[in-house]
Amino acid sequence: MEAPPVTMMPVTGGTINMMEYLLQGSVLDQSLESLLHRLRGLCDNMEPETFLDHEMVFLLKGQQASPFVLRARRSMDKSGMPWHLRYLGQPEIGDKNRHALVRNCVDIATSDNLTDFLVEMGFRMDHEFVAKGHVFRKGIMKIVVYKIFRILMPGNTDSIEPLSLSYLVELNVVAPAGQDVVSDDMRNFAEQLKPLVHLEKIDPKRLM
Amino acid sequence: REEKQLELTLEALISQVADLKNSLVSFIYKLENEYDRLTWPSVLDSFALLSGQLNTLNKVLKHEKTPLLRNQVIIPLVLSPDRDEEIMRQTEGRVPVFSHEVVPDHLRTKPDPEVEEQEKQLITDAARISPDGAQKQIQSLNKMCSNLLEKISKEERESESGGLRQNKQTFNPTDTNALVAAVAFGKGLSNRRPPGSGGSVQSGQPGAGAIIAGASGMQQVPMSSAPAQQQPMLAGVQMAQAGQPGKMPSGIKTNIKSASMHPYQR
Repeated sequence: MEAPPVTMMPVTGGTINMMEYLLQGSVLDQSLESLLHRLRGLCDNMEPETFLDHEMVFLLKGQQASPFVLRARRSMDKSGMPWHLRYLGQPEIGDKNRHALVRNCVDIATSDNLTDFLVEMGFRMDHEFVAKGHVFRKGIMKIVVYKIFRILMPGNTDSIEPLSLSYLVELNVVAPAGQDVVSDDMRNFAEQLKPLVHLEKIDPKRLM
Repeated sequence: REEKQLELTLEALISQVADLKNSLVSFIYKLENEYDRLTWPSVLDSFALLSGQLNTLNKVLKHEKTPLLRNQVIIPLVLSPDRDEEIMRQTEGRVPVFSHEVVPDHLRTKPDPEVEEQEKQLITDAARISPDGAQKQIQSLNKMCSNLLEKISKEERESESGGLRQNKQTFNPTDTNALVAAVAFGKGLSNRRPPGSGGSVQSGQPGAGAIIAGASGMQQVPMSSAPAQQQPMLAGVQMAQAGQPGKMPSGIKTNIKSASMHPYQR
């Protein structure tokens, strides 16, 4: 049930296949301030933007071994925002020169009956978490620094506890397929955040 | 052609000397006016600047394109006790007259008597030492210098790394892996495991019930494939609660079987 790799898909019209280029790292709580200062200097000048999101990950288990994963995200602090449904494919096993993790990505804005819809379709929620942090932008690059909170009682987003003493730092770009120059730009930006944070491509399969 | 070279060299020399003069002026100004706020690094900077400029001056003089200035002689052609505006302008008011008193000072090539004495002394000393002795002295000097340099660089490296070690821990790689795993596939976040959450599940409103039903895992599989209605959903929740605490592993097996037997293929 995974979407086939981009290179095999014929272009039959419709939307362009967007890929997400991703670099991840983390920073300890005590060094968060210095990281935010540095980001504020490096990134585009805008009002510092914080967010509080609740993300639920839904699985559809079919006959095949690997389930189909969809992520539903809603904003807990901003009212009136649509829900965000996202599909992320398997990371493309490109050459070693590619500096970022590349995977197929589909983003959809939905109304707020998304969870009911997914459950009706047969999806089951696998896990959920609350993400609280800051967003920065530089051109097409988006830098997100956030803390992951575990939800102690399912469905109750008030009783949460932090998962670790660090903030996760993600640098991602959503761009059409084939633009490898994007990963070079990302690597150059990541260089500027050393030695505070080491942004690198982390293969999730290695951590299973 | 030699004249051209000479001209070029003179121009280069003039510009170098002008730079040197400017940095000397600024250094003197700094010393005179800011002496109470002056820091040692700032003084070192000025000295380094002067030394660098002297170096470039030396390089210009040693450059292969410079003719042997030693062979050139400067002869004053006209000496007059009158004020010369041109000279005034060029020397910024320091030399008003190109006269008999000024010329010997400005055009001298012989060093000071004391300096001459010292140089003579050094030359006689150097002639006295045999070539072997001189070589040995050179070698020992080189060795001492390199030892000193090594000691200094080692000190510098150690202090730097010591400082770095304190600041280095701005991130924890294990945390990175844990967080990435949590975001990628919910490691450490899964709601199915903790037994406490199973007991505290409340069957509240239908909306909450739907989410909770999802959270309690695959118990709902046979229930939801029926046309969606509120009543079967709620009933499913009660059933799931009753069966959940002890029965999860067997529940999972039966659900998979029933799912695959269901007429509607997913």
